[in-house]
Amino acid sequence: MDADLTFEQLVREHQSMVFRTLLRLTGSREHLDDLAQDVFLRLYRALPSFRGEALITTYLYRIAVNVAQDEWKRRRRDDRSHISLSDETSDWEERLAHPDRNAEQKIEEREFQQAVEEQLQLLSKIERTILILYHQEERTYEQISYALGMPIGTVRTHLHRGRKKLREAIQQRQTNERRPACQTT
Amino acid sequence: MSDDLKNTQPEERAADLEHELDQRLLRALEAAPEVDIPADFAARVARNLPARRPEFVTATHYGEHAVFLGMLLTLAVLIVLTLHNGRHAGFGLAESLLLTQFLALTIWISVRRHGVS
Repeated sequence: MDADLTFEQLVREHQSMVFRTLLRLTGSREHLDDLAQDVFLRLYRALPSFRGEALITTYLYRIAVNVAQDEWKRRRRDDRSHISLSDETSDWEERLAHPDRNAEQKIEEREFQQAVEEQLQLLSKIERTILILYHQEERTYEQISYALGMPIGTVRTHLHRGRKKLREAIQQRQTNERRPACQTT
Repeated sequence: MSDDLKNTQPEERAADLEHELDQRLLRALEAAPEVDIPADFAARVARNLPARRPEFVTATHYGEHAVFLGMLLTLAVLIVLTLHNGRHAGFGLAESLLLTQFLALTIWISVRRHGVS
C-alpha cells in the first residue's frame, strides 16, 4: 500500500511534464491519457533496475520518447491522419465578440503558434523531439543526450538543423500567404 | 548620404524582421501546450499497477560510496608514505602511483556526478 502511495505521489509530481511532452511529440490529444499511463507503467516496471545514474525526470523523458516512438509506429500502421493540437472547441465566440487590436494580435499570435505546431510535426522525429526537449522542457544537452542515447554533438547538430528547417518553413509559409494578398491589390 | 540610407534601410529592415521572426519562433517553441489532466489520473495509475512491486523506489549509491571510501584510504596511505619518504627508494614510486590513482578517481567521480543530473 505504501509503495503504491509513493508511486502515486511520483505520478502526481511528474504528470503534467509527461502529458505536455507527449502532446507535442505526438501532435494529438487522442489517447493522451493512455499514453501517459503507459509511460508511468513502464517507469514502475523499470524501477527495480533503475540505478540512479540520472534523475527520475530525465529517465521519464527517455520513457516518454520511447512511448511516442511506439505511437508513431502504431499510427503509421493505422495510416491515420493526425488531429491538430488546436482545440476545436476553442474560444471563437470570445474572439469574435472583441474584434479590437488586442484581439487581432492574439489571433495573429495564435495562428503563428498553430503554424509552428504544424511545421514541427513535419520535421523528422528526432529533430522534433530535440526541439521540444530543449525549448519547451528546457533540458540541457547532457540530459537530452541521455534521454535519446546519442552523443551531445549529434544533439547539437539536430537542434541547429531542426531550428533552421522550422524557420525556413515558417518564412516560406509567410511568403506564400503574402503573395495572394499582393496579387489582389 | 541619401544613397547610404537607400542601401542600408532595407537591409536593416530585413535584419529586424528576421530577428523578430526568430523571437516569435522561440516564444512559440517555449510555450508549453495546455493539457487537461484528469483529476484522478495519479490514483488511476496507482490502481492499475501490476501486482509485482519494485524492490526499491529510491536510487542507491553503493558504488559512489565505495569510490569515496577508496579515495579516503588512498589519501591516508599517501599521507603515511609522505611521512616516511626518503627511507626507502620504493616509497617514492608507490607515492607517485597512488597520487595518480587518487587524482584519476577524483576526476572520474567529479565528471560522473556533474555529467547527468
